[in-house]
Formats: sequence, structure tokens, C-alpha cells
Amino acid sequence: MQAHDVEQKVDQLATAAMQRLQAADDAHSLEEWRVAYLGKKSELSQILRQLGQLPAEERPRVGDAVNRARQQLQAAYAARKQALAEAEQQRRFADEAVDVTLPGRRTPRGALHPLVRTMYEIEEIFLGMGFSIAEGPEVETDEYNFEKLNLPKDHPARDMQDTFYITDTLLLRTHTSPMQVRTMERMRPLAPVKVVVPGRVYRRDEDDATHSHAFNQVEGLVVDRGVRMSDLKGVLEQFARAMFGPDQAVRLRPSFFPFTEPSAEVDVRCIQCGGTGCRVCKETGWIEILGAGMVHPRVLDGAGYDSREFSGFAFGMGVERIAMLKYGIEDIRQFYQNDLRLLRQFARAW
Amino acid sequence: MKLSYNWLCEYVDVRDVTPEQLAARLTQAGIEVEGVAPRSRVRGVVVAEVTACQPHPHADRLQVCTVHAGVHGTHSVVCGARNVRPGMRAALALPGAELPGQRIERAVIRGVRSEGMLCSAAELGLEVRLLPKEQTEGLYPLPDDAPLGEEVSAYLGLDDVVLDLSLTPNRSDCLSLRGLAYEVGALFNRPVHMPQPSDPAGLGPSPLQVRLDSPLCSRYEAQVLCGLTPRPSPLWLQMRLLASGIRPINLIVDVTNYVMLEWGQPLHAFDGDEVQEQTIVVRQARPGERLVTLDGVERTLDEDVLVIADSARAIGIAGVMGGENSEVRASTRTIVLESASFDAVSVRRTGQRLGLRSEAQQRFEKGIDPLAVRAALLRAADLLCSLGGAQRVGSWVMAGSSPEAPDQVIPFSPRAANQLLGTEVDPAEMAEVLHRLGFGVQQTAADQWLVHVPSRRPDVSMAADLAEEVARVLGYDRIPSTPLQGAATAGVRTPLQRLRKRTREVLTGLGLTEVFTYALTHPAALDALRLPADAPDRRQVTLLLPMSEERSALRTRLLPSLAQVAQYNLARGVTGGQVFEIARVYLPHKVPVTEQPAEPEYWAGLWFGSTEPSVWERPRPYDFYDAKGAVESWLEALGLLEQAEFRPALSPWLHPGRSAEVWLGDTRVGSLGELHPETADRLETGSAVYAEFALDPVLACLSERWRVTRLPRYPAVRRDLAVVVAHQVSAAALLQAAYRAAAAAGEEENLLADCRVFDVYTGRGIPAGHKSVAVALTFRSAERTLTDTQVQAVEAQILRQWHEQFGAVLRAEA
Repeated sequence: MQAHDVEQKVDQLATAAMQRLQAADDAHSLEEWRVAYLGKKSELSQILRQLGQLPAEERPRVGDAVNRARQQLQAAYAARKQALAEAEQQRRFADEAVDVTLPGRRTPRGALHPLVRTMYEIEEIFLGMGFSIAEGPEVETDEYNFEKLNLPKDHPARDMQDTFYITDTLLLRTHTSPMQVRTMERMRPLAPVKVVVPGRVYRRDEDDATHSHAFNQVEGLVVDRGVRMSDLKGVLEQFARAMFGPDQAVRLRPSFFPFTEPSAEVDVRCIQCGGTGCRVCKETGWIEILGAGMVHPRVLDGAGYDSREFSGFAFGMGVERIAMLKYGIEDIRQFYQNDLRLLRQFARAW
Repeated sequence: MKLSYNWLCEYVDVRDVTPEQLAARLTQAGIEVEGVAPRSRVRGVVVAEVTACQPHPHADRLQVCTVHAGVHGTHSVVCGARNVRPGMRAALALPGAELPGQRIERAVIRGVRSEGMLCSAAELGLEVRLLPKEQTEGLYPLPDDAPLGEEVSAYLGLDDVVLDLSLTPNRSDCLSLRGLAYEVGALFNRPVHMPQPSDPAGLGPSPLQVRLDSPLCSRYEAQVLCGLTPRPSPLWLQMRLLASGIRPINLIVDVTNYVMLEWGQPLHAFDGDEVQEQTIVVRQARPGERLVTLDGVERTLDEDVLVIADSARAIGIAGVMGGENSEVRASTRTIVLESASFDAVSVRRTGQRLGLRSEAQQRFEKGIDPLAVRAALLRAADLLCSLGGAQRVGSWVMAGSSPEAPDQVIPFSPRAANQLLGTEVDPAEMAEVLHRLGFGVQQTAADQWLVHVPSRRPDVSMAADLAEEVARVLGYDRIPSTPLQGAATAGVRTPLQRLRKRTREVLTGLGLTEVFTYALTHPAALDALRLPADAPDRRQVTLLLPMSEERSALRTRLLPSLAQVAQYNLARGVTGGQVFEIARVYLPHKVPVTEQPAEPEYWAGLWFGSTEPSVWERPRPYDFYDAKGAVESWLEALGLLEQAEFRPALSPWLHPGRSAEVWLGDTRVGSLGELHPETADRLETGSAVYAEFALDPVLACLSERWRVTRLPRYPAVRRDLAVVVAHQVSAAALLQAAYRAAAAAGEEENLLADCRVFDVYTGRGIPAGHKSVAVALTFRSAERTLTDTQVQAVEAQILRQWHEQFGAVLRAEA
């Protein structure tokens, strides 16, 4: 056995092995290849075992050659094995792939009613300004609904609100304003009084797109020493900005309510057009959202706050109207029809 | 109130202000103008006389008219009006004329040239709804003295603009041109010139005697006139009434209406010869007294009605409507003009009772100016004399208090007004505004004024009213926005408000959608609930005058309302849903209702139809356990699930085998269950599950304070046992028995930490009438790690207990 021949054989073996490795395309054939070229019975192993038969001075050189070939084949084997494993994993992933366009597994989400959602929005704003929330009876007395609000019996201003009577003295409240008096009577002599009162109210109106025999109001009342009409404007401006957007402005127009003096109707910039004029605001750029005023001295005095010492403001807004403006609902009856196709749209959290 | 711009300009000259600007300024000052509309838009239409009419050669219904229009020459016009005849004067639209909605050109009509059009009232844009038939059918006839060739627009006052005012009930003064003239004068700082009625001297006493027999009339004045028969008013007067929305009738009636519009003081004219014994008595009606009013209706009166009477009988209802017996007729020779001050409340009540709502009544009930009573009477007499040739018979006669109503004097502090408004208006500016309004200002000390308010402004009675006057005339824009001052307050919800909000959060989180339904319902809506006739639910608060039976009673239960939601949605193709509402029910303490009812609040849920179909889960009908799951989650969220007890329930509207009531300790807080098939049928919901819970009793069980349970230190051992028991053995009974057995088995502590059912099976391998219940038992000690032996001992106790109590056998052995 010649060292030269051995070296040549090792070269040939390595070359052949490298070629055959390309053909090993699964774990099984790769293992066969490993046994054939790197196993104990492989030719390289046999050559290594027969190294002793070479002259001593040639052994290191040939041994080196054999080891290099072995290392080369081992590295190639490892690389091949990894490549095969990767290919195998790729195949498996492909098999396991899901259709990501199918809908997810969802628990249905419920929704607050738009009126409640709107009421909560209004309440949150006033809670943030330090108002508390009061609630009162829907079946009211004539005394609280009218008389204590400076609306004596047979006053023509009673025509402003057609009333559902239950008896001569009991009725369905026509506004949340009776709670002005009830709240003051409960709170006196404490000051400040700062409440909002949400709730259902009733008017003897035919139901149509813009009228409803039942609707919701949020009343507001502040009573303290030195409360000014400018404070009313300030509070309502803050409310309008929080409710309808930071560039909102409010406009007060003189009006009349028996239980406030001075009285105002309050407009905000049209939510639809931003003030440039459109169908919603009848081209005025403004839309009326509430009535307000300084609590009438007779109402203050009657409820136990001396009008020479205390003053206050009150306001009342229609929740339906605000919700209609905010969400583009065009018929007030839709709030009470409860069509789930409409209500489910309010599952939106934003 | 409709305000004619041209008429207004006679009393206060604002011709340099466009009607639109005027409207904007009025609205800004609190006199809301709802509409500004030209009375009509007519151009190129002139007064013409029909001189000849020939039949149209090719059309039976048309005529070819020769029409002379003064300086505009003679024209041949084809006309189809039935009333066209030679000699009549009418409005001729010349070629090129503009009429509302059309433009007139020369035309050939059925082969005949027509140089213009003769116009009807509608074509001219007149208020046809207020005109008699003879003026609206065919051509609108013009008076014989109408000047030929004159523009009809100017002649009929069509070139006017009408402002439609939506007045607040306090501004009774603005129900008159006079009041509006003062208002406009104040806003634009212009002088006001009202016609000064004459009060001729030396007429001698009135033939009439007047007596006030009721305190409901504070003053009654009358003027007798003769030499007058009913005839049409001059056209200009008719046109002013039309522009103001009032129907012209005849000169006498028209003048009373005209002066009412001008002065705000209602007047009435009646036949003086019908006044027996020439005596007028203002008194309350006698019980059962009858009177046929001008509308031809016989009315039965009583003491609450104030009447105008003569010595024998009622001849009119004060302030509301005259009587037919004294109506001005063609035969009338003498008229009595009445101007009075009637009690506002009395007039209002009478009008409401009789179902009448006249212009006069509206003014009386809102308050009239006592100073205008005499002025209006004199003004109307002036007009009847000058326009109708009437003569006064004697002077006016009056009964009641003196007409000189003193001004209201109000102490006023400019500083306090500024404080109320949050403004810094110069007191001199305030004084100027008050002057412009016609108020007198008298300074008594520094910052102390006395303001004299004229009697035409009864709405101004205190300092706050004056502050409003100042602010509204200057414009509310002068009020700045300021932040609220004063002590800080915390805005927090009450416990009930929080419970309501949390309930909404939990239920919507579980997939329920909130609904909002009417509280007024049909009383028969309860019939579907299978309630006995004497059930408390049937005692409802009902309305005196409902709009419809459908909305006549306040609900005592929420189920019918929710069922209606289900029905509405099912009818629209929605396959099912889970809905809830939080609302009050109204429970009278007794019927008939005499006091405010209780208004307890409930949440109620309804699960109807099927679950939403999805890729992952087949739709299935909602059942009892959907509702129970939601109820349990809600109770868990409130920390009440542990103590809640579900017991079989009997509510008439629920399936007796599939319903439960929920108890928290000794309090029943609600119920849930499948609807009774009969109820479901009548409510048209299909099979559905209903739950309702009262909020107040739940609130009483809530605790504000809770602490976490410490995490266990030793591992738990879980054992699953499946036992076969009879169908009617409840899960709760098994679990309770397990806890009891474990408690008895443990020496120091109950090792059974948790115990719950995880499967119920019936079918193959289980004897009929039985079920297999699989229970997961969790054993744990707080002291040590448990051994198998310890666990097995307790487990054996449990199985023994189950066997003894329920005949339960392990499923493997069954």
C-alpha cells in the first residue's frame, strides 16, 4: 500500500461522497449516506484503521488527509441535515397553514342604547366639573312640575308644554325642572348646589319624526353665592367643547322660561358643517341644543335659598336631540323602535 | 303673530333696515322670527278694465276680452274665467310680467293672440285661504274705483314683507303693532309715532248704561255709533288684515280686528238695538244659562263663565266670543263698540272649556295694557267714522276702575345687574337702554335707581327682568364666559347610579344589547302574562286623557315592552338576540291613584330566537342557561354569586319547569325562566327566556369593602366523580350534600375546597329517569400537603352521603 495511492483514494472517496450527498433528500437517505461515508464500517474508517501499514514517516501526512476529508464530510453532513430539517419544517408549516381570512372566534359584544350612551357622555362631562347626579320621580305633582317653578295654575305659559295628567294634582313630569326645586329643598342651606338630573319626561305630543310623547332630558342646576350668567356661559362652553369638539363655541339668545330670569336659548356651532351653513342648521351655522337661564328669584326663595343672598343658573337639554345631531339619526322614533340593526352599531367603543 | 313690514314702518321708520336685518335683530333680542317672506312677488301687473268680451272662435270655455289698462293701452286677452264680464276691473299681467311661479308672455291660445293674462287671487299670490269664494273663483275682482294702469303690487300692498314671529308667552305686548313698534324703536333707537285717537268733547252722555256685577271685569267701556251698515272695508285695510293672517269680513268687524292688531286691545262690536233697556251688565252666567255664540253653537254656561248681558239675557261671552242674538247684521243701524279688561284666568278657562281659542282670547289671557282700553275704543270709533261715515251717539261710557294704571316702579341697582349677568356694562349705557325701551329711570342714590315700567310691559316686574331687558337689547354676546367659582365639589355617582352603570357594563360585556322602550303602555299588554284578575300588576297608573289606548297606562312590568322589541326585530329578519333594559316600573300604593306611585327600578333581559350563526358554532335557540349564565356573571361581578340561591319559581308568565327565582339571603331579588308557551304565543316572541331583577334590594346586599382571598400554600388534589341519580335530583342538592359530608369527615378543617358539576349526561348506558352527573372535587388543606389516604377518606364519605340521600351510585358501577 502506497501513501500516494491512499491519498488519491481518499480524494476520490471525498469527491464521490460529496456528490452522493446531494442525492440524499430525506432523513433516511441522509442516514444511509452517513453510515456509508462516516460510519465505523465506512471506507474512510477502514483507511484510518489501516494507517499503521504505512511507513511511519508518511503516516502523519496521510492521517491528516483522511481527517480533513472526514471533517469536510461531517460539516457537509451537518449542513445537509439542517437544510433537510428546515425543508421538512417548511412542509409541515405549509400543511398546517390556516385561512387567516376566516373570521375569528368572537364572543358577541353588546351595546349601550344610544340614548344611554349620550346621557353617560353628558354625565361624565358634568361629573368632571364637580356636579353630582340627582334623579327624581316621573309621576310628579302639579306643585313641583309647575307651581313651584313660577307657573301658577291657568298661566298661559303652561301651553308651552302639553301635559299628561293622572289626576287634578298628579301628572307625568313635562321636564326635569321639578328636580331643581326638589334638589334645593333637600340641600338647603348648603351651598354650592351643583347637580345634573337626567331622566324621562313626557309631553302630550303626537309622535312623528321630531316629536315624541316621551323623551329624555338632562337638567343642570348651580346655586351658590355670586353665581353669574357669565358662569352659565362658561360652563356650557366647557360642556360644548367636551361634547362636540375643542373648537366649539356657544351663543346665547334671549328667550323665556317662567322659572329663569334672564332666560336664554343656547346654540352651538353646527356639528354638521362647523358653522359654514348647511341643511341641518338651516344655513345659520348654529344649532339650538338647550334652554337655560338664571334661576328665577321666586323659585330660589320658594325652595329655601334667599334670592338676596344666593343666585344660580339652570339649564335643560334634550338627550334625543343631542344624540340625533351627534350620530346622524334622523327620526326620533328610531330610539324607541329598538331595531337591533341600528342598536348594534353602538357596540363601537370609540 | 304675523308682522307686516310696511305697516310697522308707518309707526317706526326702519325703511333703511331690510326685513332680513330687522328679523335678525329681533331674534337676537328674544323676539324669534321664524320666517321672513314677501307677501307676494308680482311685477308688471296693472289695474285694467274689461271693456268687451267675445266668445273664443275655437274654444267654448274661453273668451277673448278687450282690456283697457290706462297708460298701458288696450290689449286683447284670452280669458277662461267664468266671472269675467265687461265693466269689471281686474289685474292684468302684461307680457313680460312676473307672477309667483310664472312669467307671462304674449301667446297664441287656440289660434287667438293673447297679450297678457287676467289674474285670479291665487295667481296674484293673495292669501286665498282667508278670502271668500266669490273672490277666489275666477278673476280677482278689483273695486270699480281702482286706478287704471296702476301697478297691482303697490295697489294691493303685495310688495310687503311679512315676518312670522314666534312669541314667548310673556311678551303679550308684541301681539300688537304698537308693542312691536316700541320694541323695534328701542332696538334701532328710533322714535315711535302711534296715531293719536281723537276724543271729541261735547257729545253728551252715552245712551247706554253699563254695570259691572263681577270682579272678573275690572273695566268696561263702550261707544255707541250709528249711521253705519255692514259693507266691505277699503282694500288697503283688507290687505293689512290678510297680511296679518286675519280674514276680512266687513268694515265693522274689520275695524275691530285692525285696531286689535294695532293696539293689542281686543274689541267687540254688536247690534245696539238688541241691547234691551240700553243696559249692559257684565256678570257671571247663571247655572244652565244658554247662549248661541257667533259660530252657531248653542252653549250651556255656568257661574265660571263671564258674560256680557243686557237687562234680560246674555249677549256674549266676555273676551271669547259674541252672541248670535246681538250679531251685527245688514239690518243693524246702531252698533255698540266694546273695549274692556277681563280677567285673564277667567277668559283662559272659559276658552279652554268651550274649546275656543280666538285672537281676542289669546290677548286677554296673556295680559292687556290697561292704558290701551280707552285708546283702542277711540281709535276704532275714529276709523268707523272716517271710513264708514258713522256718527258717535253720545260720548263713551265706562264702568270700573280708573284707566290711569300707574307705572310699575322697580328698585334697580346697576351694580347688582352687572353682578347677575357677569358683565361690566356702564350704568349710563344701562340707563340709555331703559330709556329707549320707554322706561323711566330715576336715580335716588349711588347705584340705586327707581325704574318706571309702562303698563304695556306687564312682564317686567322685578330687577332680574330689568337686567334681562338690558342684556337682551345690548345683545347676549356682551355676556362673557367665566369659569365657575366657589368651593370645589367632587362629582361622584351615588351607589344606585354605580350599580346601574356596572350592570350595564357587565351585561353589554356579555353580549347583551340595551334597548329603551316607552313607559306608557296598553293596559291589555299585561293580558299575555296570564295574571289573575286581581294581580297587583294590574293596578296601574293611568292617564286622564291619553292620546291613544296604546299609551294610556304606566307599565308595572318590563316584559311586554321587551317582547315588543323581539317581535319587531323578528319581523325584520333578525334571527335572534339578547336584549336588556334598565327602567322603572310604576306601582301605585292604591287605586284609584291619589299620590305619587313607587317607581322601583329593574333590569330585565330577554333572550329570543337563536344565537348568531358563525363558522365556529352552529346557531341554536337561546335557552334557560344562557339567561342563567348572564345572571350568574352579573351576580359574580357584584360579589354576590356565592350567596345567591336559585330556587324553582312559579311566575304565571314563565314555564313552571324552567324558571327560577333568585334569593340573596331572605330577599327575593328577581327571577328568570323560559316564557310560558302561552305567553310566548301571545307576545309573538317565539320561545324566549326572560329575566328581571330589582335594583334596590340588590343594592342593599352590596358591600363597598372586600378583600382578596389569600392564595393557598399547599397543592390541591382533584378528583372527578360521575354518579347516576334520579332526574329530579338537583345539582345544588348534590353539591350541598358533598360539602356537608366533607365537613363532617374533616376533623379540624373541611378539606373539600371546591366542588362543581362539569358534565350532565343522559342516554345510552343510563337507566331511564336517571342522569349521570360528573362532579369535580378539589381537596386542599391550609396546613399540609394531603395524602391519597386522607383524600380517599373524605371522598368515600361524600359518596356514602350521596348514596344515602339520593341513591346515587358511581357511574362505573351503574
